Order: sequence, then C-alpha cells, then structure tokens
Amino acid sequence: MNKILAIAFKDNFVRFSSPGEWLFFLVLPVIFSVVIGLATGAQTDSRIALLVVDQDGGELARDLIDVLQDSKTVAVREYLLSEAEEKFRERQAPAMLVIPAGLAEAQAGGEEVELQFTEAAGNVDAVAARQAVQAALGSLGRALQAAGVSLTAAAEIRPFADQAARDAFFQDGKDKAAALFADQPERILVTGPAQKAEEDFWRPNTQASAGTIVTWVFIPLLAISEFFALERQLGTLRRMLSAPVSKAVYLLGTITGQLGTALLQMLILAGFGTLLLGVSWWHDLAATLTIFLAFGLASVAFGTMLGTFVKTQGQASGLSLALGMSMALLGGCWYPLELFPEFVQKAVLVLPTTWAMMGMNDIVLRGQGLAAVLPEAGALLGFAVVFFTVGVLRFRYE
Amino acid sequence: MALILEVQDLVKQYPGAAEPAVNGVSFGIRRGEVFSLLGPNGAGKTTTIGMLSCLLKPTGGDAIVDGHSVRTDPEAVKRLIGIVPQDIALYPSLSARENLRFWGWMYGLGGKDLARRIDAILETVGLTDRGNDRVDSYSGGMKRRINIAAGLLHEPKLVFLDEPTVGIDPQSRRNILEMVKALNAQGMTVLYTTHYMEEAQELSQRIGIIDNGKLIALGTLDELTRLVGRQDEIELKIASEHAGPELAEALGKVKGVRSARSEDHTVRLVADDANASLPEVIGVANARGIKVIGIDVREPNLEAVFLHLTGRALRD
Repeated sequence: MNKILAIAFKDNFVRFSSPGEWLFFLVLPVIFSVVIGLATGAQTDSRIALLVVDQDGGELARDLIDVLQDSKTVAVREYLLSEAEEKFRERQAPAMLVIPAGLAEAQAGGEEVELQFTEAAGNVDAVAARQAVQAALGSLGRALQAAGVSLTAAAEIRPFADQAARDAFFQDGKDKAAALFADQPERILVTGPAQKAEEDFWRPNTQASAGTIVTWVFIPLLAISEFFALERQLGTLRRMLSAPVSKAVYLLGTITGQLGTALLQMLILAGFGTLLLGVSWWHDLAATLTIFLAFGLASVAFGTMLGTFVKTQGQASGLSLALGMSMALLGGCWYPLELFPEFVQKAVLVLPTTWAMMGMNDIVLRGQGLAAVLPEAGALLGFAVVFFTVGVLRFRYE
Repeated sequence: MALILEVQDLVKQYPGAAEPAVNGVSFGIRRGEVFSLLGPNGAGKTTTIGMLSCLLKPTGGDAIVDGHSVRTDPEAVKRLIGIVPQDIALYPSLSARENLRFWGWMYGLGGKDLARRIDAILETVGLTDRGNDRVDSYSGGMKRRINIAAGLLHEPKLVFLDEPTVGIDPQSRRNILEMVKALNAQGMTVLYTTHYMEEAQELSQRIGIIDNGKLIALGTLDELTRLVGRQDEIELKIASEHAGPELAEALGKVKGVRSARSEDHTVRLVADDANASLPEVIGVANARGIKVIGIDVREPNLEAVFLHLTGRALRD
C-alpha cells in the first residue's frame, strides 16, 4: 500500500512541478465554464424576476414574501417603490407586486386588502409571475383560514387571557398550518405521454458546468498514457520494475494518483459551478460522487489502454488531446446531445463521455438522485472493466 | 570462493527476431568481485542484464542469485540486486533527494533509516551540497552519479552497472571508475557491462567477452591475453624517413622480434617481450647512426583478444 501511495504521490509531484499544469487543472476549466455559461445565457437563477415592494413591513407581508421566495417560478427582488417602478419601466422584470401598508391591521380586522400587481402587457413570463403570486396568496390564505378556524374553536373552549395570548395562538396556528400544507403529498395527474420540454435537456448553466467537468477531467486522465510513455522514455519504468515492485502495484499507484487528483478536480469544478453558475451538484451527494467516481475510473482506464498503444510522450500527448476533444464534443459536453441527429445520438453511446454527460445531466438538469444515475454509472464501470483489461494485458515495460 | 550469481545457459529470443539476442550464456560471479561483461553495442549485454534483473523472462536457461532463481523467485532476486541502468533513470523535475527518497520507498525503506542512507549515499557520490537541486539542473556526470546512487541506496548484495560511463566527460568517467573501485573495496559485488576495454581491464578481476549473444571468452585479463599469445608491439619514431626500410630489415634479425616493417618516419616491430628486446633494438639503431626520437610499447590487450576471437575490432 505504501508503494502505491508513494507512486501516486510522486506522479502528482512530477505532474504539478510544471506551473503550466495548474493552468489546465483549474484556471482554464473555471474560465471556460464561466465564459461558456455566460456566452450561452447562463443565469445563476433561472426563475422569473418579480419586483416586490413591501410598504407594510409586518409579519404577514413577510410571510407572503417568504412563500414567494420559495416559489419555483419567480425570484423575488425587493426594492423601494421608486426603485421598483424604475426597474419595471426599464423592463428588468416583467411584473411588480406592491404590498400596501396596513395589511396586518386589515387582516386582524377581517377587512379585505388589495395588493397591487403590475405586469408587462403580452408577456408570458408576467402571466406566469401572476399565477405564482396567486398561488402564494392561496397557500398563505389557506394557512390564515385554518389558523382563524382554530382560533375561533379555541376561544369557544376557553377564552384567551389577553390579546397577546390570542395573537400568539393565531401565529402558532398559522405556522403549523403552513408547515402542514407545505408537507402535503404530491398530487400526480397523468394526462398523457410525457413530452420533453427544452428545459429538460438544455440549460446553459448546467450544460457549461457538466460539460466543463467532463472535458477538462477527461483529457488529463487520458494523458495518463503520457506517464507510461514518459516512464518508458526516462528508463524509470525499467528501474521501477527491477525493484521489488510488481506490475500491478505500479499500475495501481499511477492510476490511484491520477484518479484521486481527478476526483478532487471534479469536486472543485462542481463547487465553482455552484458558486458561479448556480448549478446544484449537491442535493444528492451520493449521486454526484457515484457518477464522478465511475466517470473517473472509465477515463483513467481508457488512458491506461491508450498508454499501451503509444511509444513516446509526444504521441501520447497529441493522441490524448485529439481523442479527448473529439469524444467530449461527440459526448455532448459542448452542445446538448438532443441537438444532434438521432443516429448520432445512438452512435455516441459507445463513448464514455456520453454516459458521463447523461449521468451528470440527471443530477444538475433534472435534479435527480442516486437511483437515476445508477444506469449511467453502471455503463461507465463497464467501460472501465473493458479498458483496464485491455490495458493490463497489453502493458509492457518497454 | 562461493558464487553469488550463477548464469546457466541463458537464452533470450525476441519474437520475430532471426537470431537469439542472448544465446546460451553461462558464467558465475564470485562474492566480492568485479566482473565485467565486455562486448560491442548490440552484443547482448543489456538483454543479459534485463534477464538477470527479472525484467525479461528468459527463453531458456536460468540464473541463480544467492540461491534464488530469476525464473521462479524473481521477487527475492529483486531484493538482492541493485540496478544502475544505462539511461539516466531519474525524474528530472525532482531533486536528487526526492528521487532517492522515492527509490528508497520502492525498496521498502523509510523513516530515519532512509534519511540516513540518502545522506550517506550523497556523500559517497560527492553531491551532498547539490542534493536539493532539481536533477535537470545537473551536468551529465552528476546525473550519472545520482543514477548510480539510486541503485545502491538499498545496499544490494550484487549491483549491475550497465555501461555507466556512456556519454560523459573524462573527469566524470574517472570519478565513476574510482567509485566502483571504492564500493568493491567495501565488499560489494559488481557486474559491470561496458564496451570500453580500458574500463574492463582497470576494474575487473574477471572478464567475460560477449559477441552476437554468445560468451566467447571468460577469464582474468592474463588468461584472456594468453589466448592471443604474449606478443608486444614496439613503435619507433625515427628522424630520417629514408632510413626506415634499412632499419626495419636490421631489426627483423634481432632475437625475439617476430616482424618489422617501416612506414614514413615509423618502424613497427612485433616482439615476444618488448622489455627483453628493447636494449638490442636501440643498439642496432645507434650502430647505424639512425636517431630514434620516440618509443612506444604496447602490450597485448582485450582489443587484441577481441580481434583475435572475432576478426573485428571491439568498436566496429
């Protein structure tokens, strides 16, 4: 085990002794993901912007804003009235909601209060925002209604000591009702065969983040073939295998070192994807780690196999880059596979990059978990077994 | 003396090659000796080392290192031997210390023992001051010395030095030869391959001459030179070009001189014993008034042995 770790450590020490390696490990992938993401219109929040002016400032108004914040449709942007009006005029958002002062008092007195909702004419997003506001009011209204009924019933059983006790009971009832409504079972209505919406296969930010990870991790892992070629050229492989180091220990050490570094790189790039592009990699950590590990294994195995076909470091370097770039392109790392002709989509299933992108899209695009990525992870592990077998059988020290 | 290495009819046939690279080589190395395997490039020296260091599987035969077969017990053999390959088998972007530490780890060394050995071996190769510098900043000779250090770090019983002086300057070459002598004086057994006969002559207690994959001669320097008979070559430089033929004819009649021929200002003699014949040779020249301005005596060497055995010069 110590020898495996020593080889892994040495390989990375040699690899990162060149300052240029940091450029490819971290700097360029981050720049590329941000540039590609922004160039293709990535936003950190893809929801519809809703300008909100809270003139009331009370608890009920805050509750309404919180419900809207949790919406999957609108992203609340709070401003003063003048600022909100200016932004609306500048078309920075398709809708504006003003919560007037006196909302809490009116609600306590059982009076009706009118919220002001302004929307851009003929704008689909504005319609969606209006529906989101209505849904939020409905949700909040149901909680208020339940709390009111509860309050009346409680007062009939035993009158409240004072107004503070009454308010506290009402507030507690409202919170509980809101929590219960939020936790209610999902209703599933099957209306017909599922139709794939564009957003199911394409969002610029997820595409940029996943595509960058696959491309920039795949190419260096293919370049493990350079390690083998370099060791042969230097004569260090000959020296290593004349020491009490078996072929298996040597291969495991080299593979462990590069796989470990690749996993770290993927986690760092996923972190940047979350921070800079708002991509969710972490809602099911097991799914993310599984697909990263399976992809890393398939890639490093491919590199190992490639290393047995090349003679020099130059050959390995050129071949890794050419194969890596073309497999990344065909695997859907730069453009969604769904944009390719159907026969191409089927043909590229022979590439590990395709399965890696499919698995990663399950996570970041569709928000799915471990169960969803198991087929892709299985396919990638299958690639790993085949590539490793060929690589180990063909491996020679010179 | 007991053998630490016994090579038994070793054969290596590469796939597709018409002839075996090594063809039935047998020899033994005694504990504590320097044994040289001398032969031209392509003779089979490195292939032999490859099989002895368990990198290449022999097609036939076997080699036993301190009781362990390279065929059946390679892991035990690897622990007993040290390899100094012909190439500089080091990581250029690492320092000498980092390289040595890594190779120490590969032999299962570690901790304070490894640190002590690294300090000691750097001292032995005279690179203590440069130990923390990257190897790619070293001269060719310094690289060679660290290359040797990496093969000796684990204190092997038997070390294989595969042409360790190829492509370096005379001073570095001298340093390496002195280092080999010093290591041998400390009791280390060395198998030294070279195509430089001077190195083999200087270092070795015994020499094996290999050519076209076959061991064609084996013995001490004396034993080998006896193969060609003890004939020395005397070269006389004379002042007068025209006196050459006359002098050659006269010297051909001197006792112990086998042949004499002249060429420009030079007369070349082949004698049974140069030391015995030289006084009379000078006397004959003086008697004829021919001024001798230089004398060069060459005793038989491995070059002559190789020429005698193969009909080719060693460096052909």
